[in-house]
Amino acid sequence: MSITSVVFLAFLAVVVIAYWAVPNKKYQWCILLAASCIFYLSTGSRNMIFVLTTAVSAYLAARWMQRLSDTQNTYLKEHKAELTREDKKRIKRRGLVQRRWVMAGTMLLNFGILCYFKYLNFVLGQVGILAGFLSGRRSFWSPVDLLVPLGISFYTFQTMGYLADVYWEKVKPEKNFGKMLLFVSFFPQMTQGPISNYSQLSGALFAEHAFSYQDYSYGCQRMIWGFFKKLVVADLLSPYVTEIFASYGKYPGITVLVGAFLYSAQIYADFSGYMDIMCGFTETLGIRLAENFERPYFSKSIAEYWRRWHITLGAWFKTYIYYPIAVSGWNRNLAKRVQKKFGAAAGKSMPATVALVAVWLVTGLWHGASWGYIAWGGVNGLFIIFSLWMEPVYGKGKQKLGIREEGLGWRAGMEGFSDSQDVSSGYVYQSFAGSGDAGGRDRILETDF
Amino acid sequence: MEELIEILTDINPDVDYGKEQALIDGKILDSFSIITLIGEISDHFDIEIGPKYLVPENFNSVQAMWDMIGKIQDES
Repeated sequence: MSITSVVFLAFLAVVVIAYWAVPNKKYQWCILLAASCIFYLSTGSRNMIFVLTTAVSAYLAARWMQRLSDTQNTYLKEHKAELTREDKKRIKRRGLVQRRWVMAGTMLLNFGILCYFKYLNFVLGQVGILAGFLSGRRSFWSPVDLLVPLGISFYTFQTMGYLADVYWEKVKPEKNFGKMLLFVSFFPQMTQGPISNYSQLSGALFAEHAFSYQDYSYGCQRMIWGFFKKLVVADLLSPYVTEIFASYGKYPGITVLVGAFLYSAQIYADFSGYMDIMCGFTETLGIRLAENFERPYFSKSIAEYWRRWHITLGAWFKTYIYYPIAVSGWNRNLAKRVQKKFGAAAGKSMPATVALVAVWLVTGLWHGASWGYIAWGGVNGLFIIFSLWMEPVYGKGKQKLGIREEGLGWRAGMEGFSDSQDVSSGYVYQSFAGSGDAGGRDRILETDF
Repeated sequence: MEELIEILTDINPDVDYGKEQALIDGKILDSFSIITLIGEISDHFDIEIGPKYLVPENFNSVQAMWDMIGKIQDES
């Protein structure tokens, strides 16, 4: 079902009517669950099987981890007097390891399914090329015919985030399987996000909502704006952009440059238009989804850009990849060794650098299974890492030149300069590389929490 | 708490940690400093600062950090 089709609009209208017509608001979430299941089944029963696999495995794993925690806490409480401090530490450590195995096993299953569908052909292709190279013959690999289940990247990431939150004891596991299934399969988020965290989304999904004319009308207005972006801006630009990029060799440079700018406008209108339609729809139900865009082309640095473009994906990477790696014991030990050899500054920057390398490689892979995407992620990461390393040099330079950034003259001059830089370099770079990035240390700070 | 102030002073000596209440919200501690601080606190106080404690409220002031350390030590 295309979101701009009449059938889909009729489906949304039925959902809205049913949602507000349900006599007991306690069961509003059941309407959403039924709608999500119908949506998935309409795309093929095969898609529903994978959604159910993720929902069931996460539901059981979360409840298992909670049971292990409860059993441990009960034992510690009952034997408080006779256990030494070392005994308690050992028991807690064992419980942590048990819960970690449960989480790891479930993540392996779900990310394994995701990687199978998204990356199997890429991996086989590389193995085939290598085998062909080593044997001196042409690569004899042929792609496996795989149909990627609808929305698998989004609901896998979202659900595994929930599992990590349960493991870290940030949230309690969901006891109602129906609610768990709704969290996993909520259809407005499935094809392009946003990727929500459990704390935020569960509160919105499972609450009893009273009808608000303001929310309803704002939601409708936002949907109309989203349709305008998709149908008028993105779809109209699409044939021009496609033609220019498919046959750039036969066009003059200025045409290709214009095509790059048009692509930036097209991709933004298409992606954010989708968000407006879906966020507008959920707003008519009194449900607020996390925002995914905040005028990204007004950013003054690459790090700021990535805080404003696909915001929820960045937040997921920050929470579940960047921080766990940056503060891990092995990374700290590595930092100490680097500090001994290369000095304090190098040691201090090592943990964040290692974490950023991991984040940007995964970001590249998220966007596509090819060396081009991996390189794109790597380039973005290099820009951000380099700018973080250079921040002290930049700071000393400003100090020597007596530059005060809070002064009016600096602000007026730099705003104009950076805006022109963004327009000329950011758009073009983004068009050719997918997205450009350069950051400042202070910018990363805003994403830290 | 003196040890904690000593760790913070090593990371950024230009701050009055006794008075400052917005170390994170005021962007006084940058990204590298936060990561370094977490590592130093973990090593010095022999604790693991789990993700549920990585919120701005726990790092905005020395007192907030001290309270967080105490809480983690009680739990372990």
